[in-house]
Amino acid sequence: MPAAERLPEPSNPLGIDGIEFIEYSTSQPQAFGALLQQMGFAAVARHRSREVMLYRQGAMNLIVNSAAPAGDTPALAAIALRVRDAGHAFRHSLDLGAWEMPTRAAAMELHIPGIRGVGDSLLYFVDRYRDFSIYDVDFMPLPGVPRDVPALAGLHWFGVVQTVQDERSADWIDFYRHLLGFSELPEGKYFGVLPKGTLMESPCHRFYLQLLEPPPGAEDIHWDEGLLRVGLGAPDIPAAVAALQQRGVVFVDHGAVQPSDKGALTQVYLGGVTFELVVSRMKVAASTP
Amino acid sequence: MNLGHFGMDSITLAGSLEAKLTAVRDAGFEQIMLQARDIVGNPGGEAAAVAAVRASGLRVTGFQVLRDFEGLSGHLHDYKVDIAKAMLDMCHQLGSRVLLACSSTSTHATGERSALARDLRKLATLAVPYGIRIAYEALSWGRHVNELPQAWDIVAEADRANLGVGIDSFHIVAAKTGLDALDEIDPAKIFLVQLADFMWQEAHTFEERIDTARHFRVFPGEGVHSEQVAELVSRLDRAGYRGDYSFEVFNDDYVQLPLPVVAERARRAAAWLSRHVPRRSLPARRLRARGS
Repeated sequence: MPAAERLPEPSNPLGIDGIEFIEYSTSQPQAFGALLQQMGFAAVARHRSREVMLYRQGAMNLIVNSAAPAGDTPALAAIALRVRDAGHAFRHSLDLGAWEMPTRAAAMELHIPGIRGVGDSLLYFVDRYRDFSIYDVDFMPLPGVPRDVPALAGLHWFGVVQTVQDERSADWIDFYRHLLGFSELPEGKYFGVLPKGTLMESPCHRFYLQLLEPPPGAEDIHWDEGLLRVGLGAPDIPAAVAALQQRGVVFVDHGAVQPSDKGALTQVYLGGVTFELVVSRMKVAASTP
Repeated sequence: MNLGHFGMDSITLAGSLEAKLTAVRDAGFEQIMLQARDIVGNPGGEAAAVAAVRASGLRVTGFQVLRDFEGLSGHLHDYKVDIAKAMLDMCHQLGSRVLLACSSTSTHATGERSALARDLRKLATLAVPYGIRIAYEALSWGRHVNELPQAWDIVAEADRANLGVGIDSFHIVAAKTGLDALDEIDPAKIFLVQLADFMWQEAHTFEERIDTARHFRVFPGEGVHSEQVAELVSRLDRAGYRGDYSFEVFNDDYVQLPLPVVAERARRAAAWLSRHVPRRSLPARRLRARGS
């Protein structure tokens, strides 16, 4: 009897190919929009029927959803992953134990399958990004605004930081490894100015997740699990910091996280929003058509 | 050891959820193991049940029980996934960090180890967003998995951080598993230990075990296997287990006695075990209490 052939699992079973968009939810879309503009994003389109805006910068698409119930502080609500086949990615995830995303006011009317992520966040799967813009279905371009927005200092998606409860990193490492094919970077390998927690690399090697447990001695800190902030990559951090400072963005300028060649961290805006810059020479894919 | 290491299972007590919470707390316990019936059978509704648990100040040791989950296929599997999701949802609402899943008794379930491991992986993944750990327990009348070493083998094969074993002294004693089996298990992967004794010397058949387990358990110190139960706790303690112990005593008499009387018997069992289990002077582990 022939022995069963044990082949290694494919390293990218869903064909993940970067981040299509990041979604925030907020009840303060104007204030948050102003902050995004300072960060180099520009509003390019408005949802046809809901209070949802599309911002863009370089290859980054960012959706601000104020149609869904949300708090004052803008919250990272979803990561949309580019995948080879969204339907397959969705079914594959459910087979392995993902939860179908709860019914709620999704940002898009176009059917985008999604699963539950950490906290109240979602993970969407998008497969139409090469020859078709999903945004054309739901969004009306803003008049007189170019649809492409040059990236400030080469900014691009670098990753997302997630908080996890004490001793829960291993659970989430399993979640991302087995559902999505992420791999854990060796201990001690970090980027940027916040060398903490666990770093996981996407199977397409184009972005990272950073898992943060509460720091030691922080028993009194309220620490929920959720998506905390995005990291933006830039090839030259001092140049990016200078460009953003010129637009009025304030960076934490003391202690371990002060701007360096490795990265920088903005001050806290709107009660809880921060952006992190991380040095990255990643080749940036062209913007959505 | 002391009272802080032990808790009671709500199944041991008759009456309303609120009365159970009060009796357990008044006996000096700090934790309670809940069952789904406590929540869905609450006359005030599920939200009131959850509020009562939170107001009691008791920590929820765990939530039980997901039955017959693993080894099914097709529509039976899909059905059980729906049940598991509902159980996880209730478990989460109660602030419980552990869901107990018992090995399948279903005649429709396969015993193929890789299939069982695959299903438990799926259950563990479902539990991750809720911050819940799955304690997989070998029922001594499970169809394919009826002893602790088998449950441990499958948990080890499934290899998920939030998947471990639940140990119930009743099943170990009834199946005559032998305590040496504990030596094979990583103590960090034991997510729950339930303790009970019973009155008969032996429970040979599955039918005898089921009957005994559901009607004739007693507290440690009250039955004929209590020395073995104490030895089990000693071994777990020596091996480094620092999780919770809960008294899971299904007993037809106890559910027709006043709650304080039964809770007092539980308190005596804790005292009995504390005397019989020498313990290094370590504090009771507050299992991930911060996040709950």
